[in-house]
Amino acid sequence: MNAAKRVALWERLRQEGLVEGELPARGEVSSPWFVRLMLGFAGWLGAVFLVAFVATAAVPLVKKEAGLLVLGAGACAVAAVLFRRRAGQVWLGQFGFAIGLAGQGLLAWGFVRLSQASVLQATTYLALQQAALFLLLPNTLHRIWAAGSGAVLAMVSLAYAGGLPFAPVLVTAAFVWTQFREVERADRSERIRAAGYGLAFATAVAALAAGATGGRWFFGSGGLPPPWGGDPGRWAGIVASGLVLPGVTVLLLRRAGLAPASGPGRFCVVLAALVAAASLKAPGLAPAAVILVIGFAHGNRVLAGFGLAVLLAYLSHYYYSLQVTLLVKSGLLLALGLGLLGLRLVLPRWWPAPEREPDA
Amino acid sequence: MARSCPGSTGVSSAREEILDWAGRGRIAPGRIRAALAAGGVLPTPDQWRRFLDRFLLYAGAVLIGAGVIFFFAYNWQELGRLARFALAEIPLVVVLVFLWRWGVDRPAGQALLLGASLLVGALLALIGQTYQTGADVYELFAAWAVAILPWVWVARFPALWIFWLVLVNVALAQYFQAGAFRWGLTLTVTKALWLHFGLNTAALILWEVVAASTPGGRRERWAVRLLAAASCALVTALAVLAVAGRGEMSLGAVVVWLAWLGAAYFAYRVRTKDLFVLAAGVLAVIAFVVGWITRHIQFDGGMFLLVGALIVALAAAGGWWLRELGREDES
Repeated sequence: MNAAKRVALWERLRQEGLVEGELPARGEVSSPWFVRLMLGFAGWLGAVFLVAFVATAAVPLVKKEAGLLVLGAGACAVAAVLFRRRAGQVWLGQFGFAIGLAGQGLLAWGFVRLSQASVLQATTYLALQQAALFLLLPNTLHRIWAAGSGAVLAMVSLAYAGGLPFAPVLVTAAFVWTQFREVERADRSERIRAAGYGLAFATAVAALAAGATGGRWFFGSGGLPPPWGGDPGRWAGIVASGLVLPGVTVLLLRRAGLAPASGPGRFCVVLAALVAAASLKAPGLAPAAVILVIGFAHGNRVLAGFGLAVLLAYLSHYYYSLQVTLLVKSGLLLALGLGLLGLRLVLPRWWPAPEREPDA
Repeated sequence: MARSCPGSTGVSSAREEILDWAGRGRIAPGRIRAALAAGGVLPTPDQWRRFLDRFLLYAGAVLIGAGVIFFFAYNWQELGRLARFALAEIPLVVVLVFLWRWGVDRPAGQALLLGASLLVGALLALIGQTYQTGADVYELFAAWAVAILPWVWVARFPALWIFWLVLVNVALAQYFQAGAFRWGLTLTVTKALWLHFGLNTAALILWEVVAASTPGGRRERWAVRLLAAASCALVTALAVLAVAGRGEMSLGAVVVWLAWLGAAYFAYRVRTKDLFVLAAGVLAVIAFVVGWITRHIQFDGGMFLLVGALIVALAAAGGWWLRELGREDES
């Protein structure tokens, strides 16, 4: 946003009585998402080489599990110092990110070797580790990584405890919570925003991994215990995951001051219910749609675009899902497609267009 | 100074500025949402309606097309030949009738063409399956691309063009997969990469030339960025294979890669500005350097540290450069 647009924006808010005084000096602003993605990938690659260095250069230490934990904790501490001192210096932040990633890898490696932990114990520990590092290491890119990886590890842990059917609804609800909180807690908005992006990634993983295949292709066919509550429990999880979308719809309608019984409200609720119903047989649809709707509702084009990409990826993934036959899948897609087009036909009746905009 | 492309996100947006001001206490906590609305960040009811209208249209078309394709993949043996063809052709005819009534200039028309293009693929798959022509898989995708080309040309719809290019790329990939037994895997991979690179780069150049000569042609950038990223990835893969010693025309691949970087810098830094393409170039340089180093250096503990630090330094330098470029838009 150039200087003139900043001034115009501030003036507009001032006229609405939302701000007072002079335009603040430009603070440290974030890079576009693709620059952060590039930096994140390079940081990850750098961390791989740093871990390799530690593994070869500090062999006596590395041979002992406690040594790995000490090195890992030390690396994370160095990363924390670099993050706090970087003051706009990109290279310090990038170096800190790589060291932080290396430290996390060493901590994980040390814990697994020290404890001889089961998958459930290891993933639980790692999820808690990532949660702690999210709070302790003050860097946006790192927090996005910690939130996303931590949430995915928590889902894996839940799966190995028998709670796989409930993973999508929990992670999607957490994502929704961060998005609604982002504007309410301005003092913590950077942390909440980073958590939101990380949880969006975890929601996408939930949509693809814990969806129609029951997670088998993600976790392996023999590794998971039976779900809590057996088949009724599995269905409860699927229904709950689908209900997040209508719930989000009602919340957004209330925030906009629209009653669900009004014309636009009725339309939105019926649309959300249609997608939620379809997600009973295609469980990834609802979480992916939530990302898209929330992204659009909050003016976050990156999230909205990500949600659209997840929807398309799920459609491709759905073809290979083995829980239902291709015939059932075909019928579901056709019914949903016709339902969406049918709803579009009633849109002018329930939600009339403004005069200038003829329906195509 | 190079003019920025529309949508070439500068360093900050209205949303980020308002949240930054709120974080610094310049907007009262209970009024942040009102500030976002006043700043035009949150969608108005009209924008919501338009979004839902478009989403229902395109999602409905894609789901119906996908549903038909899934149906024929199911290969329902009980249907006779005529019934199967009727089920494949009737939706196509219905779509074309609506298209004839509505035209291709409206979003509904474009969505119909997208759906019709998917249905053509289902019909061709059915033909190949029913008549057992012995055709290879690549011939299906090639025929599909040829069949829908007139529609793609007429629609002038970026998503349809990208879909068409995906079909052509898949046809090429399948062709080389079939040829792997004749040429050997390594030769096949290199030949395939060169052809894919040529195809996607030619598409990118043609797209930019047409966009530059069309009013408003540079508005939608996502398709161009996708093509640029694909072209960059392919030429970088060729260059990395070359320096890793497993590609033919080793020097040629590196020269072409350098030429691509130079041309991309001129096009997306000097003539216009598109940070996305430049970021892809930065990543390509990092990938090339890592590829070269891993092949030509004997690794020990110290070299791992050096390489790790080099990667971080390159990424940081690239990130700093891109941020500085973004700041040019703010002055």
